[in-house]
Amino acid sequence: MAEKKNLLQRLAEGQIWTSIFRGGGVPKSRRQRMMVVLNSVFLHLHPVRLPKHAVKLKFTWCMGGLSFFIFLILTISGILLMFYYRPTIEYAYTDIIDLAEQVPFGIMREIHRWGAHAMVITVWLHMFRVFMTGSYKPPREFNWAIGVVLLLLTLLLSFTGYLLPWDQLAIWAIAVGSNMARATPFLGHEGPGAALLAIGDINFVTVASDVRFALIGGRFLGEATLLRFYVLHCIGLPFVIMIFMAVHFWRIRKDGGISTPV
Amino acid sequence: MPEATEKKTATIAPSSPPPAALGKADDGSGVTRRSFFSWISIGWLAFVTATGGFFTMMLRFFFPNVLFEPIQTFRAGSPDEYQAGEVDLRWKGKFGVWIVRDDEGIYALSTVCTHLGCTPNWLAAEQKFKCPCHGSGFRKTGINFEGPAPRPLERYRIVLADDGQIIVDKTKKYQQEKGQWGDPEAFLKV
Amino acid sequence: MEGFKHLIDVLAKPTILVTFTFVIFFFIFPPSDWFDKWHRRLKFDALWGKKSLIIITGLLIAFFVFGLGDPDFRSIVLKPDNVPISGLIFLVFFFTWLSMSQAYKNDELQEAGKPVDEHYDAPNDKVLVWPDLVYVELISLVLCSAFFLLWSIGLAAPLEEPANPSESPNPAKAPWYFLGLQEMLVYFDPWMAGVVLPSLIILGLMAIPYLDNNPEGAGYYSYKNRKLSIAIFMFGWLVLWVLLIVIGTFLRGPNWNFFGPFEYWDSHKVEALTNVNLSEFIYVKWMGTGLPGNILLREIWGIIITLGYFMVLPPLLAKTWLKDMYAKLGVARYSIFIVLIISALTLPIKMYLRWMFNLKYIISIPEYFFNF
Repeated sequence: MAEKKNLLQRLAEGQIWTSIFRGGGVPKSRRQRMMVVLNSVFLHLHPVRLPKHAVKLKFTWCMGGLSFFIFLILTISGILLMFYYRPTIEYAYTDIIDLAEQVPFGIMREIHRWGAHAMVITVWLHMFRVFMTGSYKPPREFNWAIGVVLLLLTLLLSFTGYLLPWDQLAIWAIAVGSNMARATPFLGHEGPGAALLAIGDINFVTVASDVRFALIGGRFLGEATLLRFYVLHCIGLPFVIMIFMAVHFWRIRKDGGISTPV
Repeated sequence: MPEATEKKTATIAPSSPPPAALGKADDGSGVTRRSFFSWISIGWLAFVTATGGFFTMMLRFFFPNVLFEPIQTFRAGSPDEYQAGEVDLRWKGKFGVWIVRDDEGIYALSTVCTHLGCTPNWLAAEQKFKCPCHGSGFRKTGINFEGPAPRPLERYRIVLADDGQIIVDKTKKYQQEKGQWGDPEAFLKV
Repeated sequence: MEGFKHLIDVLAKPTILVTFTFVIFFFIFPPSDWFDKWHRRLKFDALWGKKSLIIITGLLIAFFVFGLGDPDFRSIVLKPDNVPISGLIFLVFFFTWLSMSQAYKNDELQEAGKPVDEHYDAPNDKVLVWPDLVYVELISLVLCSAFFLLWSIGLAAPLEEPANPSESPNPAKAPWYFLGLQEMLVYFDPWMAGVVLPSLIILGLMAIPYLDNNPEGAGYYSYKNRKLSIAIFMFGWLVLWVLLIVIGTFLRGPNWNFFGPFEYWDSHKVEALTNVNLSEFIYVKWMGTGLPGNILLREIWGIIITLGYFMVLPPLLAKTWLKDMYAKLGVARYSIFIVLIISALTLPIKMYLRWMFNLKYIISIPEYFFNF
């Protein structure tokens, strides 16, 4: 009994489609639907089945997922920005202006900037939700700690990004931030205890050897600072945050998925 | 005899030459627990040292040997150009220095707030420097009197060149709380 | 109109605003049964009903709409970098309401002996990820992308004048999420406000699951069984973080002076802020002898007070007021918990000391960059 098939159905059962999506066709049976999740490298981040409250927006607020999605938006828009932006004092500011005025669809910086603000907010709200549902309680203590590190990294990513336009907002935010580093106990040259790390008249912690210097690449804010923050913002911190994100997501599954009442 | 040798090998210090222990392993009796642990500790020690060395290297990498920074010394004209009782703003933009002349002489104040490094503004009407970042206030002398700044503004070395021009040298600082403002080069008598 | 604006300006004075918040806060988020009794007597539990959500959101919107008619308020709110903060006020209120209303509902269910809303009957109450979760995700992603696209088209990202190292903008503000830190920097030396306290915040957050050994309330919204931990978290988050951000954004103007939301940002506003250290209070004002030359002698009173606060207060509390908590937490948990709490409390303490007595440092040793 030959069933009449339309073009879409033929495609979905053809060799190409079935070679990409195992099982082929639209998943209809329970088994097929489970296999879709299991067979996809992206979807298998999820378990196959969930408690029913885990899909309720009222419970999850979707904030963790949105944080991750905004991170992806920021990665993509950030890569696009890197095609035009040059991290030097001479060009940085004008490149930012060109990105809005000379580049078609010049809203990439807007998306990147607003996305960064939004990610800080969604990460906070995610933390707030996890706290209010007591989801940090055993066995999820460690994943909560990882989450706090992710919050810190989010703030640091946003902070290093602040310098890159090299405008007034940028350098004064960084001037203040880096001078806080100067006051780090023992490690900054104006921090308590730094004067104790000395042999005779030779200080080990000076303006040219303290933690602030390592951060801004000089005794004053300048070319080296911009480059250091650029590398941290585009490569260093994203690399670290991705490792922690991987651990965070992995541990959600290993700690028993979304938290449920006992 | 094997008994004795074994004891001896087992108690060797980690610094003993490796062949002894290696030879031991060959004679059929195997590696004893003690010698095994001493090998393990040598191994771990070497691993930790190497890792530590590697991280030191990486840390040192962030401190280059040569810095390319703006010039730190400049000529600021002759002392007659400065009015007594005035704060002169002409070098603020280029070199970050206020030159102040009072009845006795001239001093060069750093424009870097001692709190977190913003540039305070000179408010002539109130005769004070006021920092916009966290509200620190300094008197004309540079002494802090309000807001969070922990200490007075720094003064730079100020001397007269042979041609009668003022030279300000920013590489040498004088801090009031260390009692350095009395230094002859912290202050130019006119 | 002007009278109302003036009233708001007066109420927004930090002393009044912060004191009011501190007083009322624990009646809104009761940390103990006593507070809970008053919480219910004062009808604050109605805050988490549907009516309150509509009324308070309405009031907030009305306030912003009304405020936009004022040029001073408008110039702050419409500054592009401040837009997320206005959004944050609404979001924080909405999500606080959302979590608390569910928590109160669950508390009532539990009291009636019924299972909570999130009750989950292990194998039966499962749903499939495909399609039940993936479609929620897909819709969120589409909406989120559309939202960012519209926001980005509608509002240009802020870009100020090119960097000028010799001219700080007035006021010079940190990124908004660090405004809480910038506020702390007014009251503490940078090594405390910029390094020690932020590290304690991070460590303290990480320590939460290890300090809170109460097994109740895992996996569902609840309040009744977790009063103290939620009240503390809310205080840290809503007051010491969000409120300080709002203060830093809307109330801090030129020269980092306080301004009401409807007040003109006059960069020549004169505020007498002459600050005095504790040692000067004791030796100059009270004893009239002048500061002693010896550093240790000069600062001994501050050192005694600080050591007393950090070393004597915790065991004292463990014996008296916090006896039950000490018994429940044990030595290790209690010690870490109490050190974190009293460190956090140094912020309000130093704020009030500054506002009331212009006290700057309790210990002041600028010679060694050690000021506290």
